[in-house]
Amino acid sequence: MRKIAIVGSPNVGKSVMFNNLTGSYATVSNYPGTTVEVLRGKARIGSEEFEVIDTPGMYSFLPITEEERVSRAIILDEQPCVILHIIDAKNLERMLPLTLQFLEAGLLVILVLNIIDEVRDLGINIDVLHLEKELNIPVVETVSTTGEGMDILKGRIEEHVKRFC
Amino acid sequence: MLKDFAKRIGYDDPLEIYLSRIESLLLSDYKITKRAIAILLLQEDNEMLDRIKDKEKERAEEILKVIQEAKAHYSHPLSYIISLRRQKETNRISQAVMSFKKAGKVSFSERLSKIMMNPLTGGPILLAVLYYGLYKFVGTFGAGVLVDFLEDKVFGNYVNPFVTNLVSAAIPLKIIQDLLAGEYGVITLGVRYAFAIILPIVATFFFAFAIVEDTGYLPRLAMLVDQLFKKIGLSGRAVIPLVLGFGCDTMATMVTRTLPTKRERIIATLLLALAIPCSAQMGVILALLEGRPLGLIIWLGVIFLVFLIAGYLASKIMPGELPTFYMEIPPLRLPQFSNIFRKTASRLNWYFWEILPLFLFASVLIWLGQITGIFNFLVKILEYPIGWIGLPPQAAIAFLFGFFRRDYGAAGLYDLKKAGLLSGNQLIISCITITLFLPCIAQLLMNVKERGLRMGIAISIFILFFSFSIGYAVNLILTLLNLQL
Repeated sequence: MRKIAIVGSPNVGKSVMFNNLTGSYATVSNYPGTTVEVLRGKARIGSEEFEVIDTPGMYSFLPITEEERVSRAIILDEQPCVILHIIDAKNLERMLPLTLQFLEAGLLVILVLNIIDEVRDLGINIDVLHLEKELNIPVVETVSTTGEGMDILKGRIEEHVKRFC
Repeated sequence: MLKDFAKRIGYDDPLEIYLSRIESLLLSDYKITKRAIAILLLQEDNEMLDRIKDKEKERAEEILKVIQEAKAHYSHPLSYIISLRRQKETNRISQAVMSFKKAGKVSFSERLSKIMMNPLTGGPILLAVLYYGLYKFVGTFGAGVLVDFLEDKVFGNYVNPFVTNLVSAAIPLKIIQDLLAGEYGVITLGVRYAFAIILPIVATFFFAFAIVEDTGYLPRLAMLVDQLFKKIGLSGRAVIPLVLGFGCDTMATMVTRTLPTKRERIIATLLLALAIPCSAQMGVILALLEGRPLGLIIWLGVIFLVFLIAGYLASKIMPGELPTFYMEIPPLRLPQFSNIFRKTASRLNWYFWEILPLFLFASVLIWLGQITGIFNFLVKILEYPIGWIGLPPQAAIAFLFGFFRRDYGAAGLYDLKKAGLLSGNQLIISCITITLFLPCIAQLLMNVKERGLRMGIAISIFILFFSFSIGYAVNLILTLLNLQL
């Protein structure tokens, strides 16, 4: 079964995204040799079933905490074919450095601009097409708590899997 | 899934040369780009280093040499240079893709938010928050009503007599009896102190703090005081530990861990110990200065001045880069009470287990001080500085015991006040001095624990001299001006 890893810094809505994708079934287990808990569940996207992994929060690809080490190990060792980098769209400046690190490593992530509703409330507009061109990866806007944008995200995942996996 | 057409940022020329030299030495397959491995290696990623040692064998030596060369080439750590470059690229992209619409109509919460951050209007709001949140709720309700109930009723009537009887029945040795259940016993003093005095005060404080936090007031307060705090070597970020200090300085000192630089942590620790009275101290002081509004104003003024001057001097003595401060300002929200209760409970739990051992240790110290006679000796020594600041020698006992037991210190001073031994001037001076003086032994221990033995002791000795010097100065000024308050 192919894997989808959900990555990103803490408090950006990773777990809600995980629940949106997987429904209610999830297994919690300690990552081997650590005290860090990792959530895994299954998701059907298109005609394919995936294993979805909710990784612990990470700020940088250069790990400092045990959580970050686990998240990196999942990315390196489990070779997920889709990596969803979830960010808080309000804080583009703080969140994009990690995206750049993924790209530097040749990992083709899908960038998810979560909590986009709060960005709109602030009167800010993010030009998604421009951002896609800058980074050369798919960028999707979502509001994980309401489910807004989930269909588009699933469509982009399908596309991505067809092209690269 | 290694695709090279994705975005890739370039670094400056020397760094690129080091990177390609390392890349050319990496011959194994790493599942991510060799460039990324090289960048991680330059940033001292030990986990990666172990991996390449394992995979590249003899070439690892060569790679290590290139890393050393690269490090020597730059005056800053490479991780800093690399992050800076990434941040620059991020900022460029963000600015390119983000645009701001014309501001719509200003909502009520936005207007309120602006009012809170404006120095002119924000000041009175801060005072109102302090008055109702701190003075009324924590001070009057928590430190007054709840403490009275737990301390007098629960411990005074039930727990202490029970423990005392039990211990005297079970253990024949007087000295051990004292250790467990005497006046300064581990249970009768240490546990009682933690449960009956600290718990209610801190619980009400955490509750008020969670409300302030969840409404989004805290970051606005941080913005409000940021400019002022920059002058004393801190930034708006220090607002959180300093506000917590009004609840309990010991806990607040622990929270200085959240400050980013060592310099800020030291300055904040010093200011907490010196000029931020904890709720227990405030209780004593407000009671002593009852009915003396002028005294209260002088006390407030002196403490605030000391706060600014000490902070300013400390920031001059300890040069360092100005702290940068960036804080997201979340929207103002009505707090959810279930959330506030959960937060209060989990913080109390965390705090309590950190603090309880300190109280137990403190009561063992008091017990030792009593049986060895060190206490009497210390009181004799303290009488000198007490005399210099114009207080009667009886106040020495109050000061020393106040350090170990706030209520004893307070009771001592009340007695002196009642006996008419303290004039108005002396009351104000003793209030100022006891505020500046280290609040309690638990904080002394926490200073040592957090800042290390040398810095902890240095801060304490400085405060000892400084608090009495200020007391002396205020006494001198009042005498010279021939003021009787």
